[in-house]
Parts: sequence; structure tokens; C-alpha cells
Amino acid sequence: MVGLIWDPIIVTAVMLLGAGIAYLILITARRIAAPKPSASKLATYGCGEEVKPDETHADSKQFYSPIHRVLKPFYRYIQPAHTGILSHYLLWVVIGFIVILVAVALVLR
Amino acid sequence: MIEIPPIVAIVLPLFGAFLTPIIAIVSRRFDVERKVCGWFMVAIMIAMLLVVVSMGARVWGGEIIIYKLGGWDPPWGINLAIDGLAFQMALMIAGLGTLVAIYSLAYMKRDSRFDLYCTLILLITAGMMGIVLTGDLFNFYVFLEITCISSYALVAFRRNSDAVEAGIKYMIIGSLGTSILLLSITMLYGSIGSLNIADLGQKLAMAKAGAEPVPMILVVALALFVTGIMIKVAMVPFHAWLADALTAAPTAISALLAGPVAVIGIYWVARIPYLPFGMPVGVILVALGIISMVVGVLMALVQTDFKRMLAYHVISQKGYMVLGIGLGTTLGLQGGLFHLLNHSTYKCMLFMCAGAVLHRTGSQKFDELGGLSKNMPITSSVFLIGALAISGIPPLNGFASKYTIYLAGVDAGQPIITAIAVLVSALTLASFLKAFSSVFLGQRPERFKDVKEAPMQMLFPMCVMAAICIVIGLLPALGFNIAGPAQTAAMNPGNYISQVLGGT
Amino acid sequence: MSLNYIVAMLLITLGLYCLLLKRNLIKMVIGLGVITDGIHLFLISMGYREGGIAAIVPGGMLQDNVAAGFASAAVDPIPQALVLTSIVINICIVALALSLTIWVYRHYGTLDPSEIRRLRE
Repeated sequence: MVGLIWDPIIVTAVMLLGAGIAYLILITARRIAAPKPSASKLATYGCGEEVKPDETHADSKQFYSPIHRVLKPFYRYIQPAHTGILSHYLLWVVIGFIVILVAVALVLR
Repeated sequence: MIEIPPIVAIVLPLFGAFLTPIIAIVSRRFDVERKVCGWFMVAIMIAMLLVVVSMGARVWGGEIIIYKLGGWDPPWGINLAIDGLAFQMALMIAGLGTLVAIYSLAYMKRDSRFDLYCTLILLITAGMMGIVLTGDLFNFYVFLEITCISSYALVAFRRNSDAVEAGIKYMIIGSLGTSILLLSITMLYGSIGSLNIADLGQKLAMAKAGAEPVPMILVVALALFVTGIMIKVAMVPFHAWLADALTAAPTAISALLAGPVAVIGIYWVARIPYLPFGMPVGVILVALGIISMVVGVLMALVQTDFKRMLAYHVISQKGYMVLGIGLGTTLGLQGGLFHLLNHSTYKCMLFMCAGAVLHRTGSQKFDELGGLSKNMPITSSVFLIGALAISGIPPLNGFASKYTIYLAGVDAGQPIITAIAVLVSALTLASFLKAFSSVFLGQRPERFKDVKEAPMQMLFPMCVMAAICIVIGLLPALGFNIAGPAQTAAMNPGNYISQVLGGT
Repeated sequence: MSLNYIVAMLLITLGLYCLLLKRNLIKMVIGLGVITDGIHLFLISMGYREGGIAAIVPGGMLQDNVAAGFASAAVDPIPQALVLTSIVINICIVALALSLTIWVYRHYGTLDPSEIRRLRE
């Protein structure tokens, strides 16, 4: 009735098969040439500076700075509009009601 | 199967709520208060779940179960009417409520006054069951108030500064919403003269067919009703309370608010275009849905707090459901209702994972957490399943319902809706990748070295819900078996009216 | 009796003004109460009938079976029942709102909503 052009169980089986084949390739490759990275290779790259392990966490505000830059108009107006002040939120409710009233009146008449 | 009247599903948690303080006083004498209250609450929820499941066979056979309170016939008396749509909602409330109750046995271990918590959980469940099972508009308002007041008290349960701030904001916006609903019910009663949903549907259809333009009072009543319901469903621009409430509430309550309480709003959103109003407000619902989807996910991308990000995703996913319902086609309504089923499951699960992390580490901000996947392997794999489900990745259940909504958008002749929906899904996946990598992968801070896995009572509901996600993902026909009768029942107001008013 | 409806709408508008423009949580809660009072007045006056009698059936009327004319002469009792229920609900809401306001004052030291904004964005 929905017209799904696929059967979930078959596709899941194919996905698991693909994952299994990839895992086989991985462990076969490891047996042939085991990875032995040196300590400097495993350490975090800090452009030549000493980086303590605690500082290597990605900053959650800067994580999506490209998206933030692309959608700047949104983030300039709507994000600060969530001020946290209750009176502003109630003003939104009243304005939203007036908009819906006008919309319903237009739809029904 | 014995004939259990559906009123038992409402009365059982209500009387349980009144008995809980007495049981608490008695068991405090023997010093087993926490265990007895907790297991009493879980027992009542399981009994209610069994009552709801026992109604399933009759409802899916096409019969609307009608129970008249006090023996009075509708439209002079209040009746309960359970068709396919109400049954899907009741099933979800009962099932998810039971799992959240089991979860909160372990989560509220360090809180005092656990008996008050059990009372409030039983009250809110009784209120929610009353909303979806009732056939009378003012009865709906009373049960809505019971649900809302219990939820205000539960959000502010721990009484720290964040919780009371979120509580007072939620309370004032929510009370304004229910007052708006009362004004709408008042205007409907004044102009039509009836409060029974089936009777109202009949008389509104006649009023609409008679006078051509629709009288102004009905327009205002409908606008007020839509506004009131949208405040409850937290669509933009009425969404401001949801992020604060879900951040500051105890996480078991966040799971309850994001799962079962969302069901109530969407139940009435599905009823607005068909019964009792029958007015073509689909365009407004589609517009609200699209705006909520986009604003929700964009606000969620820049959050630093775990539960606040999940709260903005609740707004975004509810936008999907309202969009599906507003499209008005069979595919759209089925997609919206199926998405409600899936969303409540995986959103409860995601909040439970956040709660497990908060319970063990004491922190819910991304910047302070990290590398917990070695300490909490089960929690991290359940979170991964939930994150893939919410982004609509096959073979999990989110894909089946989102694919239905994409198809509905193209089917209704508006491929731009499908494009926006797919884009929002991609941004959802992005935001959950950030969440997963910040909390579970990466470098583990020193102070979290000895963090243990979440206790068994927390893991059990999470694993049950993860299993449901995978099973519905592999066999979406199971989900359509539940959402299909709901959709046919919603789109068929004539059947509802004739069975309630004309039947025995 | 359109005066009733005008006063009810005036009350709702005044309550909304209090809720939106006052900088004190207690005044906002009072505004909420005024809104619900306006709605109750609206609901009661919707059941009114010119020159109607109270909708209470005296005992003798049921035996003599003169109840036929009673229904067209009495005011509508349903809005009165609805308002009673709603008044009780409103009491619960105002009580809970005031107790939450007391807790907010204990934590923040102020009742100004523009100061109570630790949860934002």
C-alpha cells in the first residue's frame, strides 16, 4: 500500500553481508601486515605544540561553524530571539494566534 | 477474554494515584517505602497496559468501543469512544508509560519524596488516557488540565534553580494555552449547542453545508482551538517552553514529556481536519510543520547541552508529523501517525540514554563529557541505534515512516516539501553525529575513569525500545498494522458519528 | 445581554495586558487569573435566557409532570456546571503557579522575568 520498492529484510541482509566482507578484508590485512604505529603517530597533532589529552575535545559550539557561516541570516536573528525572557515568549504566542486567525479566516471564507 | 470496560484504563491509574500516599505512609512504618511505592506504580501501569491491549481485537475489527458514563446516552451524557486512532494513542501511552515507570525506579534513587513522584506519574498517565479515550469536548479539557498540572509539578520536581525557572515558564505558557482552549470550547458550545464530539461533528457539517460563508464565531473558535493545540504540540512560534522544560526536568520526566505527552497533541491535530471540525486547515498545518522542522533542527545544531539538543529535535520531528497530517492524503496521514509511533519510541530511548549518562557522570554538557563508550557499551550502542533511527537511516524504523512522508509530499504534488524534509533529515544526522562523538567517542576525561554502566532497571526499558526500533524497521508492516486502522478511523468521521449516536 | 460579553472580552484583554507587559511574576499570575475570570463570565452569560428561572427542578414538578414548559423557561445549566469545574481547575493552577513563584524567588532573589533567564537560546 505504500509502494516501497525494497524489502527491508533483504536489504538488511545485504548490508550485513557487505559489513561482514569488509571486516574479513580488514582482519586479513591486519594478519598480513600488522599496524605498529609509533607513539608520536598516535599522539594528537597540535601544529607542533604540546597538547594535553584533556584539551583534545572538540568544542561543541564551533563544531558546525561551516553550517553556522552558511546560514548566517538565520543565526543572526532567530537564535538570539530565544532570549529566555518569559514576556517575549508570551508575545510570540499572541502574535502567532493573530497570524493563525488571519490564515484560518482566509482559508474558510 | 472478559469484557473489561475501557473506563478501567482511566480509573486504574487514578485510584492508584490516590492510594499511593496511603501506601507510602503505611510502608514508611516498615521502612520499605521506596520499593513498595515503586513496584505498586509499575504494577498499575502494567495492569493498565493489559486492559488497553485487550481492547485491540475489537477495535481493529472495525467496531468503535463505546462506553457510556452513568448509562446516559450521547449526546446528553459523556461517553468514551475508542476507534482505531484512539487505540493507537492509548497503546503508545500505556506501553511507553510502563517503560518510563520502570526506568524511573532506578533514576530517582537519590531523590527524596519518591511517593509524591509515583502519585504524579499515575495522575499524569490517568490524564493522558482520559484525553485519548474520551468522546466529549469538556471532558477532554478536564483531563488535559490534569495532565498539564501534573507535568508542571513534575518538571519542577527537583526544585533546583533551573527546574523552577523552566517550571514557571512552562506553567504560564501552558496555562495560557489551556485557557485559549477553554475559550474555544465555550464559543463552540455557544454557537452549536453541544459538547459531544460526534454530535458536534454532525452539527458542524450541517452548519457548514447550510450557510455559506462560515460564521465568524466558528472561525474564531477554530483559530483559538488550533492555537491552543499548537501550544501543547510545541510548534514554532509556540515552542519556547519545550526546550527549557525538557532540559531542566528529571530525565525520566523528559522521556515522558517527549514520548507519551506528545501523543496527545498529535491525536488532536489529527482530529482537527476531520472530526469534529471538518475544516480544510491542511495548509496551515503544512506551513507550521515546515517552519517547525527547519527552525527545530537549526537551533539543535548549535546547542551545547545534551538534553536541550534532544528537545529541539523533538520540535523538529513533531513538525514532520504535523506536516504529514496536514497534507491530507492517505499516505500523508499514515506517514504522520506511523512517524508518531516511531518517534515516541526512539525519542524516549534517546532521553533515557541521556539520563543514564547524567545519572552516572553528573554532567549533561557536551564539553565536559567524552569517551564514555568503553565504560557504557550498552548505552552507547542503544544511543547509536536511536541516532540512526531519528535520522531516517535504513533498516531502522525512522526510515520507514520518513520514507512514507517523503512519498506523501511527492504524491500531493509538492516536491519542495520532500526536498525540505530530506534536508532536515540530513541536518538531524549531522547533529547526532556531533552528539555521539562528543559524548561517547574521543578522549575520556580523568574524572570519568571509573564510571560504570547504567543499572539494570535503566537498561531494560532502553533495550526493549531498541528491539522495537529494529523489529519495526525490519518489518514495517507491523507499524502499518497499527497506523493503518488509525488512519482509516481518522478519515472516516461519518462512521464515528453514526456508531456513537446511532448505536446502542 | 451584550454588556456581559463586552465586559468578558474586556477582562480577557486586561488579563492579557497584565500577562504580557508587567515585569513581575506575581502580576503575571494575577493576569492569568483575570483571563480565566473573563472566560467564566463569557461562558455563564452564554447560558442566560431573558426572564428565565433557575434550572432547579422542585420536587413536586416531577410528579405532576409539568416539566415540559420548564425546559423552555429555565436558563441553561450546562455552562454553570462547566464554570464550576473550571473554577476548581483554576484554583489548582494559581496555587501551583504561586508556589513555583516562591521557589523562583528563593533561588533568584528577584521576580522580574527579564532577570530569570539562565536557560536561553
